[in-house]
Amino acid sequence: MPNRDPTLPDPSAPTPVGLRPVPFLQGSLFGEADALGYGTGQVYDEMVTGQGRLRPHWQSFMGTLGPLDPELMAERWEEARRLLHQNGVTYNIYGDPKGMERPWPLDMVPLLIPAHEWKAVESGLVQRATLLNAVLADLYGPQTLTRSGRLSPAVIHADPGFRRAVHGIRVPNDIHLHFYAADLARAPDGRWWVLSDRTQAPSGSGYALENRAVLAKVLPDSFRHCQVERLSPFFEAFKDTLLSLSPRRETPRVVLLTPGPYNETYFEHVYLARYLGITLVEGADLTVRDRQVFLKTLSGLERVDVILRRLDADFADPLELRADSSLGVAGLIEAVRAGNVALANSLGSGFMESMAVKPSLPMLCRHLLGEELKMPGVAVWWCGDDAERAYVIDHLDGLVVKPAFPSLAFEPIFGADLSAAERMALVERINARPWCYVAQERLALSTAPVWQGGRLQPRPLVLRVFLCARRDGSYAVMPGGLTRVSTESGKLVVSMQRGGGSKDTWILAGRRSDSAPAQPRPQAGQDATEPVLRPAANDLPSRVADSLYWLGRYAERSEGVVRLLRATHTRLTDGNMPGATAQLRPLLCLMAWEGVIPWDLTRVSELGSGRALRNALHTSVVDPDHPNSLRAQVLRLHRTAYSVRDRLSLDMWRVISMLERQSQTPRQKLDAAAMLLRLDDLVTILAAIAGMEQESMTRGPGWRFLDIGRRIERALHTISIMRGLNVQGLDRQEEGTQAATLAVLLELGESVMTYRSRYLTTVRRTPVLELLLSDESNPRALAFQLAALEQHVTALPGTAKPGPGAPTASALSIVQAARASLRNPESLRSSEALNTLLDTLATSLPDISNLLTHAYFSHAFARSA
Amino acid sequence: MPLPDRPDAPFNQDSGPADRGGVRYRLRHVTHYDYGEDVSVSHHLLHLTARPHPRQRVRRCCLTIEPAPAVRSDHTDYFGNTVTYVAVQEPHRTFTITADSEVEVFTPPVLDAASTPPWERVRESLHSLSDPDDGAEIVQYSFDSTLVAVSPVLLDYASQSFTPGRPVAEAALDLMRRIHGDFTFDPTATTVATPLADVMRHRRGVCQDFAHIVVGCLRAVGLPGRYVSGYLRTLPPPGRPRLVGADVSHAWASVWCGPTGWLDVCPTNARAADQDFITIAWGRDYDDVSPARGVLMGGAGHSLSVSVDVEPLDSAG
Repeated sequence: MPNRDPTLPDPSAPTPVGLRPVPFLQGSLFGEADALGYGTGQVYDEMVTGQGRLRPHWQSFMGTLGPLDPELMAERWEEARRLLHQNGVTYNIYGDPKGMERPWPLDMVPLLIPAHEWKAVESGLVQRATLLNAVLADLYGPQTLTRSGRLSPAVIHADPGFRRAVHGIRVPNDIHLHFYAADLARAPDGRWWVLSDRTQAPSGSGYALENRAVLAKVLPDSFRHCQVERLSPFFEAFKDTLLSLSPRRETPRVVLLTPGPYNETYFEHVYLARYLGITLVEGADLTVRDRQVFLKTLSGLERVDVILRRLDADFADPLELRADSSLGVAGLIEAVRAGNVALANSLGSGFMESMAVKPSLPMLCRHLLGEELKMPGVAVWWCGDDAERAYVIDHLDGLVVKPAFPSLAFEPIFGADLSAAERMALVERINARPWCYVAQERLALSTAPVWQGGRLQPRPLVLRVFLCARRDGSYAVMPGGLTRVSTESGKLVVSMQRGGGSKDTWILAGRRSDSAPAQPRPQAGQDATEPVLRPAANDLPSRVADSLYWLGRYAERSEGVVRLLRATHTRLTDGNMPGATAQLRPLLCLMAWEGVIPWDLTRVSELGSGRALRNALHTSVVDPDHPNSLRAQVLRLHRTAYSVRDRLSLDMWRVISMLERQSQTPRQKLDAAAMLLRLDDLVTILAAIAGMEQESMTRGPGWRFLDIGRRIERALHTISIMRGLNVQGLDRQEEGTQAATLAVLLELGESVMTYRSRYLTTVRRTPVLELLLSDESNPRALAFQLAALEQHVTALPGTAKPGPGAPTASALSIVQAARASLRNPESLRSSEALNTLLDTLATSLPDISNLLTHAYFSHAFARSA
Repeated sequence: MPLPDRPDAPFNQDSGPADRGGVRYRLRHVTHYDYGEDVSVSHHLLHLTARPHPRQRVRRCCLTIEPAPAVRSDHTDYFGNTVTYVAVQEPHRTFTITADSEVEVFTPPVLDAASTPPWERVRESLHSLSDPDDGAEIVQYSFDSTLVAVSPVLLDYASQSFTPGRPVAEAALDLMRRIHGDFTFDPTATTVATPLADVMRHRRGVCQDFAHIVVGCLRAVGLPGRYVSGYLRTLPPPGRPRLVGADVSHAWASVWCGPTGWLDVCPTNARAADQDFITIAWGRDYDDVSPARGVLMGGAGHSLSVSVDVEPLDSAG
C-alpha cells in the first residue's frame, strides 16, 4: 500500500502538440523504427490516469520504491549497470564496427501489468499464435486458402519470403510456429493492439530474462512485494516442446543454431543456449550425412535431433535456398524432408511476418478457428486487393505506405508529406505492382515512466510478448515481456539501434486463491519413457577447439610482447637501474628481431635520445595497424575469444574485455611513467587470464586445446628469444655484454627470482640456459612446455589408437625427440651444439601446430559448385 | 546405384496425344565435373528427369551417377518437376551424371495466333480463372523471381510488342522475333550470374538469357511467364536447318494465352516450340530448375563438361 505520494510528472504539463503519430516498420528487434505518437493529449499513460491519479496497480509498487530520491535512484541505476556489465549483457549494432558489444540499456522502473489485464492479452495472443500456425499449415500443405480464393494466390506467390522448397514437408505435430513474439501497443482507449508479428526467429526473450535477473536484485523489496509472475516455467515448457520434436526417443541432442558472434542478438543466443542447457552451434559446426544432421566434434560426428533456429531460413541451406549463404548447412532441407531432424521454427514460418496477409486475419480466424479475432491488429490495407487499393489511393493523406513483404525493404512513405507530383508517382508505382504495397493507419503509443534526468518522465513504449508451443500444439505465454521505450518524448522511434531503452515487464499475480500458476509445470524427465536431453557440456565442436587453441596462442603471444615492451620501457625510463644502458641494446635488437621496431633504431645507444625510437616504442604498444604491436596481438586475442564467447566464463570474458580496453590507443600520447603503469596493468591482466585458465576451467578437451596453444606458443617464443639474443654466440662476447644478455633472458623468462634463490651468484651462461631450456620444473622453461605437450597430445581423442602416419602420432614423436635432445647435457655446452639444437627445434616445433590443425580442425568449408 | 527404368504412368495410360503422332527420342545428357583435388563430401540437387506434359510422354528415364552416391532420393518440387537429391560421402575427384531417357513429343496443334484473346483480357482473367487450382498455379508465374524482376527497361521493350488490344499469342511471337533480331547469340558474353539488366544493355547472351528476357517482358505487362529447360533434337530433319543450342541444355519460355493454354516460344531460334523441343523442367527462372546444383566440401575449383545427344528413334514426324 502506498504510504506517500511519490513525485510524479505533472500530467497537465505542456506536451508537444502536433507530432504526427507514425506507424511501425518491419524489422529486427533493434533495427525497427517502431514509431510513436505522443503528446496529442490522447495517449494512455501506464502509470497515471487522465486525471493525474496513480493507477491502483502502481500504488503498491511506488510504495515499496520509497521516495524518488535522485541519489538513491542513481545508486540503483549504477548497481543495475554494474550487474548488466558483469553478466556481459550486450547487443551489436549492424553496420557499425564500433557498435559491437553495446551495453544493454535498462530502465529502473518496470512496466506493471495487472493480472486481469494480462489475462486478456494472453487469450488474445494464444488465439493469434494458433491462427498463424493454422495458416502456415495450410499454405505449406494443401493450400486450400488460396485454391478456394479466400486468400489471393498473390499473397504467397508474390512474396519472396514464401519458401517453396519446404512446401509439402510434414512437420512434427503440424507445428510450424514453435516460438512466436508479438509487438503490442496500447491505444488511447487502453486496449492492447498488435503492431507486428515475429514468426521467423523472434529475439528478445533472453534479454527479458536478463532484465528480470537484474531488476530482481536491484529492487528486491518491490519485486517480492508485488508478487511478480516467474518467467522460468515458460522456458521449461519450451524446452519440453523442443525435446518432444525429436525423431529419436533416446537422449536427443538439441542445438541452438546461431549466425555467429556478429549477429546483433548474439548475446541472447549464448544466454538462451546456456539457460536451456543446449549446445550453441554455427552452421560450420554441422554437417549432413545420410540425410541426418551431425555436429562435428573432436571425437567425431554426433547426431543432432532438434535445431532451435536463430538463423533466418533463407540462409539455412545453401543447396536449396540462398546459394551464397555461408551460415547454413548444405543438405539441411533434405534431412528435414526425411524426418531426421526437426527445426523450431520450421523453415517456412517467417512467411507470417508478411503484411499482405494481415487484413485477412479476422476472416481467416473465423474460417479456420470458428472464432472472432480477439486482439485487434493495427489496420492495414493490402494494395494487391482491388478494393483495398482503391481505398488506399483515396485516403493516402491519412496513411503510411509500406512494403507488403519483409524482404522488400523501403522506407515508409507518409501520404500527407507528398507533393501532388510525388503522390502521382507513388500511385503509379502502386498500380504497376500493387501486391508489393500495404498502407497502415497511424497509431499513438501509450507512455510509461522512465527514470531520466533525475525524475520520472513519460516515454512511449512498445511491448514484445513471447509465446511457445506446447507439445500438444497449444500455446503458452511468457508472463512478462520485453518493453522497449524511447528515450525522448518527442522522438518518433522506439528502437534499440537508435538509442532506445528497455524495461522489465512485471505481470502482477492476482491475489485470488485461484491464481495458482496458469501453466502446468512440464513433466519432462519424470516419466521413464520420456526423452531426456543429452547434456550439452560434452559437445565440443571442432571449430571451437580450433579457436580455443588460437586463444591460447594469442594470449601467450601477447604476454611475450608485453614483457619485452615493459623490459625496454623500464630501462628507457629509469636510467638509474643497474645495467640499464647495457641491457637496452640486446633488448632493442630483440625487438627488431621480433619485428616490433625497425632494425635501424637499434643503433641508438644513448638513453633518452632519439625521438624516432620513442615514437616507435609508443607505436609498438598502441598502434592497431602495426602487425606486431601489443595492440594488434590483443585484438587478435579478443576477436578469437569473441568467437568462442559462449565457452568462456563471465569472469574470463570480463578480464579479456578489460585487456581490450586497457590496450586501446589513449587519446593523448602517454608519458613514460604512464606508459609503464599501463604495461604493468597489462602484464597483470594477462596473468589473470593465464591464472583463470589453470584454476577456473574444467579439464575437458576445450581446455586441453587452449593449453596446447599456450605451450606451443611459449616454446616457440623461448626459442625465438634465444636466437634473437644470439645466445649461441654468447661465449664469444665480452663479459659485460654477456651479463646484460643473460639478465634480459632471465627477466623475459620470468625466472629472475628462481635464479637468485638457486644460485645466489653472478649470472652465468650455463645455469641460465639450463633454467630456461632444460629444467622441467620451471614453468617458463622449454622443457616444461614439451612435457606438458607430450601429456596433452597423448590424451587427445584419437591418439590412443593411431594408424600409421597419423598426424597425432607424428606430433607426439616430434615432442619426444625434442625432449630427448634437451635431456642431453651436451646440447647446451658448446656454441655449436646449442646452435644446432635451437635451429632444429625452430624448424620442428611449428610442425606440431600444422599436424594438430590437420588432425582436428581442417573440416573443409563448404562451397557452391 | 542406378534407378530402374521408370515409366511415367499417367501418360502411358493416356492414349490421347498419341493419336496426333509424335517423335520418339533417345536422350543422353552427360554432366561431368573435375574437382582438381579430393572432395570429401558433396551434395547435389538435380533437375535432369524429363517431365511429362500434355504434348510429351516420358517412356523411361534413368539417371546413372558416378561415383555411386551414398544417398539418392527423388521428390517433386513446387512446380511439379522431379528433383533428385544426391550425396557422395567418400572422397572423390570427379562426379558424373548420365541421364538416359526415351521421350515422345507430339506435334502441337496449329495455332491461329490472331484468334487468341487480347493480352489485356488474358491479364484480367488471371484473377477470375474458373479452375481455382489452375488459378493459383498459373498466377505464380506473373511475379518477380530470384533472377527475373520486372523493370522499366523490360516494360519499355515489351510494350512495343504488347500494343493495345493485340492478340496475346501474336504479341508473344512478335516479342520472340524481336529478341531474336535484336540480340546476338554469344556464349562468351554472359554467365549464369550475369544480371538481366546487363543482358538488356549489351544485347548479347545465350538461350537462358533470352528466355529470361521473354519471361521478364511478360511479367512486366502483367502476364505469367514460365522458364522452360530442355533440349533440341541434335540433327535436324532432312531439309531443315540445324538449330542453335543443340548438343547442350537448351532453354526457352512459355506464355499463358488464356483458353489456349501455354504457348512455348524459343527466342534463340525465333520459333514456337514444336516436336523438336524436349522439355525437362519448368519454373519461374533458371534458378528454380538449374540442371545440377551442388555444395562441395574440399576440392579446388572445378571444371565442367556437358554433352547432350538427342536422337530420333524413328522417322515419324
